[in-house]
Amino acid sequence: MATIAAPRRSPLSRALRDARLAAEESTGLLNWLATIDHKKIGVLYGVSAFIFFCTGGIEALLMRTQLVAPDSDVLNGDQFNRLLTMHGTTMVFLVVMPMSAAFFNLMVPLQIGARDVAFPRLNAFSYWTFLAGGIFLNASFFTEDIFSGQLGSPDGGWFGYAPLSLKTYTPGHGMDFYALGLQILGIASLAGGFNFIVTILNLRAPGMTLFRMPVFVWMTLVTSFLIIFAMPVIAVALFELTFDRLFDANFFDPSAGANPLLWQHMFWLFGHPEVYILILPAFGIISEIIPVFSRKPLFGYPFVVFSGIAIGFMSWGVWVHHMYTTGLGTIANSAFGISTILIAVPTGVKIFNWMGTLWGGSIRFRAPMMFAIGTVAMFTIGGLSGVTHSMVPSDYQQQDTYYVVAHFHYVLFGGAIFGLFGGIYYWFPKFTGRFLNETLGHIHFWIMFIGFNLTFFPMHMSGLLGMPRRIYTYTDGYGWDLYNLLSTIGAFTIALSIAIFIVNFLWSVRAGKKAGADPWDARTLEWSIPSPPPHYNFAEIPQVHARDEFWHRKYQEDADGNVVPVMAGAAHATETAHGGDGHDEHHAEGIHLPTPSFFPLIASLGFPFVATGLIYDYALIPVGATLIIVGFYGWALEPATEEVD
Amino acid sequence: MMLLRKLRQNAPGLLPALLLLGLLALLMTGCDADVPQNTFDSEGEVARKQRDLFYLAMWPAIVVMIGVLGGILVMCLRFRERDPNSRPPKQTHGNTRLEIAWTIAPAILMLGLGIPTVGLIAELGEDPGDDAYYIDVTGQRFSFAFEYPEITDADGNKLFLPGEAHIPTGRKVAFRLHSIDVIHSFWVPKLGGKLDMVPNVENILWLRADKPDTFHGQCAELCGIEHANMKLTIHADSPEDFEAWENEQRASLNATPPPTPVRSPTPTPAATGASSPTATAAASPTPTPTGS
Amino acid sequence: MAVGTGHLETSTGLDNRKLLMWLFLGSECLFFGSFIAAYLLYRGRSTVGPYPEDLVDIPFTSVSAFVLLMSSVSMVLALAAIQRGNVRNLQIWLVTTAILGLAFIGGQAYEFTEFYHEGLRIDTNLYGTTFFVLTGFHGAHVTIGVLILLSLFTWSLRGGIQQKDSLNVELAGLYWHFVDIVWIVIFTLVYLVQPQ
Repeated sequence: MATIAAPRRSPLSRALRDARLAAEESTGLLNWLATIDHKKIGVLYGVSAFIFFCTGGIEALLMRTQLVAPDSDVLNGDQFNRLLTMHGTTMVFLVVMPMSAAFFNLMVPLQIGARDVAFPRLNAFSYWTFLAGGIFLNASFFTEDIFSGQLGSPDGGWFGYAPLSLKTYTPGHGMDFYALGLQILGIASLAGGFNFIVTILNLRAPGMTLFRMPVFVWMTLVTSFLIIFAMPVIAVALFELTFDRLFDANFFDPSAGANPLLWQHMFWLFGHPEVYILILPAFGIISEIIPVFSRKPLFGYPFVVFSGIAIGFMSWGVWVHHMYTTGLGTIANSAFGISTILIAVPTGVKIFNWMGTLWGGSIRFRAPMMFAIGTVAMFTIGGLSGVTHSMVPSDYQQQDTYYVVAHFHYVLFGGAIFGLFGGIYYWFPKFTGRFLNETLGHIHFWIMFIGFNLTFFPMHMSGLLGMPRRIYTYTDGYGWDLYNLLSTIGAFTIALSIAIFIVNFLWSVRAGKKAGADPWDARTLEWSIPSPPPHYNFAEIPQVHARDEFWHRKYQEDADGNVVPVMAGAAHATETAHGGDGHDEHHAEGIHLPTPSFFPLIASLGFPFVATGLIYDYALIPVGATLIIVGFYGWALEPATEEVD
Repeated sequence: MMLLRKLRQNAPGLLPALLLLGLLALLMTGCDADVPQNTFDSEGEVARKQRDLFYLAMWPAIVVMIGVLGGILVMCLRFRERDPNSRPPKQTHGNTRLEIAWTIAPAILMLGLGIPTVGLIAELGEDPGDDAYYIDVTGQRFSFAFEYPEITDADGNKLFLPGEAHIPTGRKVAFRLHSIDVIHSFWVPKLGGKLDMVPNVENILWLRADKPDTFHGQCAELCGIEHANMKLTIHADSPEDFEAWENEQRASLNATPPPTPVRSPTPTPAATGASSPTATAAASPTPTPTGS
Repeated sequence: MAVGTGHLETSTGLDNRKLLMWLFLGSECLFFGSFIAAYLLYRGRSTVGPYPEDLVDIPFTSVSAFVLLMSSVSMVLALAAIQRGNVRNLQIWLVTTAILGLAFIGGQAYEFTEFYHEGLRIDTNLYGTTFFVLTGFHGAHVTIGVLILLSLFTWSLRGGIQQKDSLNVELAGLYWHFVDIVWIVIFTLVYLVQPQ
């Protein structure tokens, strides 16, 4: 992007350039702070998301400890409300979304045959802004007297309904951290959404038409469109909440004549596409894993793609199903009841397609496949309880009970989290050159599977026996005791499985069994380059002739679909999975990638300053604004690639 | 360990199958329980119809669940890789007819479920009409308060009852729901599903109790620190008993200037934090037992 | 082969940055649409005054709307100039656009002050809240646009914008026109169309 012809270098300009070149040479912290390499950014996202998964998990364990028995006093109502708010907010915004972003970053450029994303510095900006938002949000814990049990975190639930979220009813700064923290996170997500749409539409390797793209790339594309259209809606809702809280505006204040349901409409207009943002990437991941470990293509690729697109469109027309009990009336409830019933169809269709992939396959039960099959099974259960929700009048009983909690954990944990773990086991060898330990992987899977079902299946029952959600305690005699006990045992079982995973990860990074470029005999382009990939990804941008391009370089099919090996000496031989020899290194010498940059990080730092300033001291706002402006201007004015003298 | 490995090799599906059965067994345990907020134990017309609609979806859903999960299990067993050195199997790409069929068939089935759904939405959403017995309910942090427009003293002051209400059986009772602070939700599971209490909005929920009994409910929308303890009780009386109770209440109203509150069965904990400044709970220090 | 230079061939044939700007403007439609929806929902529902009919000055606002519309014309002229390689005219039209934009903002500031003196604040009633937030965000967008225009102007003074760099001006133009169109919608719904 060398739009400036600026040959004369001021001392400042030279210093900035030297800093960037130093970062490029470094292998330590400096490099990581300034990296614009999608692979490193993917790792940063993944590690951060996992750490937040642990904090969100601890929040859950604390809640489950309180609820293990009736009339417990481990936590009081105030503490419980803060933990439940942070648990939900963390898991949605700081775990599933960034972990999906980790995979977008790591995989999309490789799967489309590109060297990086369309806007590498914007990519870095997304990550650092996400991290800033996540830290800002969690900092709220410490803003009151945590050592005497006073938590400062938000307490209005992860969907922060008004008027509870107004200053009158949730005084203190918790909900301000919620509103401003999510605002910062929204900026990060938006930036990522734009980046991946442009990347996928514009940076595909020659010959890779849209219908030759891997399903994971398709899901990333649909998810990114959902992000860029849904995040502005919640941004507006959050601005309105912030103005109500900080400046006494009247968006949601009933005493001024406002309708509190406006918040719900806006939140769920965002919120429903959001849940598809949460699940589609995992669907994409398992759509990669299941074919590889069945050794046959995804059954019905066009249907899977079209159903993903259909879900993207239809997700905008169902939001009122979160509001059936708010009294909107027969027409609204009926219309949205029908639309909700219908959206089950494109989702269900995918399940059949995955099953069709298994049929007639040659199934290898390696760790990634265990998680992928687990995802399909658990999502089926969650999807079916979702169908029962769409029977509107019975939802009048189910709404706001543990039955709903069961439903969304089946789809979000059983669906998204299991799928994301599958992706970790599947792609770990590509990025580290080593396998995660297979035995520990199976143990992790089974303990997590058992723990997960033990935690959440009983909640269907306690919900239907009348246990509302978000209650910090209950008395005996309601029939809920056994189910709560089982759920708590299950929760700690899940925690055990995560501990096993952590051990596996830390050990395998150093000492795992070595893996080559294509350890799974897979189908897509990322497996055609060495493990770990060189920083330029592809020595030569591949020419794509078919869907599952890489598979077709190894195997060919006759007219009936039977596999025959590729002829020796075929034209593609030089492009098969033997990267890293001298031939490629020589090619690689001519490849110049953009230089690392510190400005995205600098710009990101500005946002928490502005947010903190709005809450505590306006003097911080100009500090934050300056960082943002300096960051953006520096970014705009610096060349994408520094010339080395 | 050895046993597990043997099981895994020879009957790889056994563990998941057992788990599934265990889950199903768990599912069945609670339905009959005689517990206060059991949505299966319908004692009112609305609850019953909602439960029956739920069954209409639940049974097919269980069948589908068994079918799909069982199918996955069977396929994993049948198509597991037997020879790691074998060639990949036939590379089937899809079957358009089959895929269209399995898209359209569920769509039709689902839309079929939509018909009774919309029917019941309309029925439950009907205006209760003039024949219903109207009671005003106000939600506030953290209690419910009932006001009876049909039970007044000579000056027109209405009966006011915190936390507990009486209703007649066999007749539509229309609760006009309000809130004076945040959103609450009025829910008595054995009588019917919930409806939110939204400030600035009046929602009307009608219920009909089958027979005399005591029903328990609680707030079902997070409203603050003591949301868990915001409960209510409804006593359904036969029409004769209810009329007697009404007369009794009217007599009390006319005798003493402030309305006599009914002793609340659950002690309402002091509302901490910022509760609404306009809270109007009328708590009397000397509880009077109800006669019913 | 650096990524994202805009000089590469892209799979769609569209420049990366142009595609980015269109996507951004698409998401901005949802942003402004949500604020406009809140305004329309609460129209006529304020429980206390002052009310729109007390304050709205159509002639004044029409003039400032016209000014903003004219700034879009000068923006088009700026782009046309640099596409023909005429840097001097680019600079003239960029400055003109920025001045017209500033005039619009001046008009907004004046109007806000007038309303404030008449007793309308963000916390007064539903009208005050929805009006100030909606038009305030729009004004903020115009302000950022002016900053972008002045930055481009400064850049061009250093010879940084030549004919081959016209995309930068085009992108700024897209943003500027969008902000203008949003104003047309707001002007119509908030000022011109009053409930009975």
